[in-house]
Amino acid sequence: MADFLSQYSIQRWLEMAPQGYLEDTVYGHDADEEEPAELLDNDLLREESIRTTVQLVVGERCALAASSGLVNCAPDFGSKTFLATQTLDEARHVEIFTQRLYDLGVNKDDLESTLDRYANPNLVKFAEILLERVQDGDFVAGVVGQNIVLEGMAFTVFELLEATSRQANPKFAHTLSGTIADERRHVGFGENRIGSLVREQPQRKADVEQMQKEMTYYMLATFADSFSGNAAAIEETRRIGQELTADAGGEPQQAEWHGADLATASPEELEDVLAGTVLDEFKTRLGRIGLEYQSPPVPA
Amino acid sequence: MGAEVDFDPHALGEDEFLDEVLSFEFWFQTVEGYLSEHPYGRPEAVVGRPLDGDANDRLVTILCNYCVAEAAALEASSGLIRIAPNHHARVFMATQVADEARHLEVFMHRLRELGVGDPEAEIERRANPEIVEFKARLLDLVDDRDWDSAVLAQNVILETMEYTVFRHHAGVADPVTAAVLEGVISDERRHLGFGENDLGRRLADDPSQRHRLEDVKHRFDALVLGVFDATFDRLGVPRDDRPTLGREYLDAVARLGIVS
Repeated sequence: MADFLSQYSIQRWLEMAPQGYLEDTVYGHDADEEEPAELLDNDLLREESIRTTVQLVVGERCALAASSGLVNCAPDFGSKTFLATQTLDEARHVEIFTQRLYDLGVNKDDLESTLDRYANPNLVKFAEILLERVQDGDFVAGVVGQNIVLEGMAFTVFELLEATSRQANPKFAHTLSGTIADERRHVGFGENRIGSLVREQPQRKADVEQMQKEMTYYMLATFADSFSGNAAAIEETRRIGQELTADAGGEPQQAEWHGADLATASPEELEDVLAGTVLDEFKTRLGRIGLEYQSPPVPA
Repeated sequence: MGAEVDFDPHALGEDEFLDEVLSFEFWFQTVEGYLSEHPYGRPEAVVGRPLDGDANDRLVTILCNYCVAEAAALEASSGLIRIAPNHHARVFMATQVADEARHLEVFMHRLRELGVGDPEAEIERRANPEIVEFKARLLDLVDDRDWDSAVLAQNVILETMEYTVFRHHAGVADPVTAAVLEGVISDERRHLGFGENDLGRRLADDPSQRHRLEDVKHRFDALVLGVFDATFDRLGVPRDDRPTLGREYLDAVARLGIVS
């Protein structure tokens, strides 16, 4: 275990993140990048961007509270150290997505009311289930909930958002790239560290799987809410992406994500491919730590 | 950004100051200056020489006790994130969590270099009861969700104690340990600055808290002085030869003017 944990040290983290892929970035992107004027001037797109970014802030605030809470109940210094790096990663994510809200025109005094207004109640419930376990000092459930379920979801959502933003909004795409690199590390720790604990405590399996089932239910409900009635905003984003590419004298790029054509897929198709990708990730990763994925009921 | 040579954050208005200084970006730019190319907290060019048996053993004891203090700060600062009164304080505490974990890591790395095979077990074996008690009381304040008292105990009292001891130690230590301590001291100064600033503002808003915090300070003072004494007892330093760290600590806290 000591060898595996040495890959998650502060030293390694400093070399990989601040001195690696985050070097020369400001709030996660190049200093000269801005939100496209076409987005800021378009009321529909601006509101949808705010709504999407609010969900990211809510998720990252949950991850910050969870990772910091897990430091105290970690059973060894190596795990505490890794969770300390994750705490700072999550604080950075909160900060860069909060900054994006300001870049989109949200007044600093209106931050909390904007979060309250747009936060998806199902995502809030998803977070509450996890934070309850952390509050109880349950390290195994906390790490599974955070580093497998929450991070697995975030990783995939960020990948989709990054793929759909590459042409229309390079600034947001670059911001997401750094968070994706972070999330990959977090998921890796969850798999490596928890596998041995689950083997030592097989009696915990049913309870942890139940938590995964409940969190998955609220995750799928969040996805359903996010995509329903969203066709107009998706079309606008595509149109702007094409315009920006044409203005720059380029050809529209073929953007495919897990088999879906991002230039033509309907909201329903996008929701299906996102949910399917996340659930496949869950099954694979849970299997690696000795847990069996539990299907939730289909959200109404 | 924040770490530019001519940049003076104190020239900013209050809101801008908080936005600038209590942020990941500021932390990132600041530590980049003194941690870049410093694997495990020291320049690669600094090479250690073997210490003799007694000196090695004394240093192991000291570092084990530093680790208890750093573990206390790591667990307390991570617990404080959830009860932070605002976004800025929450983000600052997250940077402090990473700093404290780094300190723990560099001290444990140094312990291994000094021949300690299982640092976690050695820390438990050599820890002074006073610093263990300090840790327990600090974590009790966090568990009680008492932000003001916990920030006082951690960011003012503990950080001042460490700052005093580490500065003294860096002046007499071997080159490797001294280099590691210098990086840690830079962090401690930032943490202390936050504690002073945060509590100063909060006490200005609610002066009635001052008496309560003075009581907390008095209770922790006795433990801090006990930590100093216990460390020197273990090291076998005669009372007349001991540096006046206790006095320096009390003076340093008093200079902050937060509590008497």
